Amino acid sequence: MTAIALPPFWTLVERHGDELLAHARRLAGDQLAEDVVQEALLRALRAYPRLRHADHLRAWLYRITTTTAMDAHRARRREVLVDETPAPPSEPEHYDGAFDTLIAPLSDGARDALRLRFVEDLDYAAIATRLDCSPAAARQRVSTAVRTLRERHHA
Amino acid sequence: MTPLSDRLLEALAASAVREGLVDAVFTRVATPFGRLLVVQGAGGVVRVGFEDDPEDALLAEVAAALGPRVVASDAETAAVRDALSAYLEGDDERLEVPVDLGLVRAPFRREVLETLHRDVVRGQVVTYGALAARSGHPKAARAVGTACARNPVPIIVPCHRVVPGSGGVGSYGGGPALKRALLEFEGAMAPRLAPG
Repeated sequence: MTAIALPPFWTLVERHGDELLAHARRLAGDQLAEDVVQEALLRALRAYPRLRHADHLRAWLYRITTTTAMDAHRARRREVLVDETPAPPSEPEHYDGAFDTLIAPLSDGARDALRLRFVEDLDYAAIATRLDCSPAAARQRVSTAVRTLRERHHA
Repeated sequence: MTPLSDRLLEALAASAVREGLVDAVFTRVATPFGRLLVVQGAGGVVRVGFEDDPEDALLAEVAAALGPRVVASDAETAAVRDALSAYLEGDDERLEVPVDLGLVRAPFRREVLETLHRDVVRGQVVTYGALAARSGHPKAARAVGTACARNPVPIIVPCHRVVPGSGGVGSYGGGPALKRALLEFEGAMAPRLAPG
């Protein structure tokens, strides 16, 4: 049991489910959106009792959905890389298109940071080398870019 | 915006239950006596709400007592749904579902509700005073009234079968008309020919 009064989890699901699905569609495309939301909500439920306060729960769900979409994207890309036969063209293309559309409004620097992290799947040390900055700064650029995206989609 | 599909929601709830991530599961059951909200904890049904009860407040009450991981699922509550439907539609004369009175904090109130659940069967009514006596507290008719009024699992723990000694059906969380309808349905009270 928690000391703070968190709302029943399903109240959040019923209140924000539709907008999280729309967010996942923008991030991951129509085909993966439902899987992304389902996984994101399961991750949220795992973490839910450990939350220390009940503020900004909607933003928290958006953040988890964003991360889950990025993970799905990387997993998909890894599948394509290890696959000997060429991957069916439609899905990855559709998917990459969604990602590029998503990050299009960001600055060049922010787009580069996100591509290195989520498309090239580099760790922060490698991103730092490519961007000629410290690993901490690389991490900062990626997280700022993700936050900017999230705030745009809240608006 | 598109709401999440039932398929997605059921799959999410099923995974959550399988992983042991759930403090309570709820479902909404359509019955001849209105739509009921039924909440099930690890030990059985902890809460039943009537159609007019505010759902958010009821689920918040459950979350405060059992934990915030409250999810909805028809599949995970299928046994309770079937039993309630069968009883309230008249297909089954017995209503046997596991009950957990964990939401009842006061030991006296819990004792009263346990006695009521165990002893007062379909077709019977008991007065507040008689139920007080059966619970071992013959002078506590008024406190028995409070216990019934705060019964978290109406219909399953049959507080509708507890009536005033002075006559009439008395008060009920779902309204006196519903109480009368339940008693008529169970054959404890003759249907009235005219309102009055």
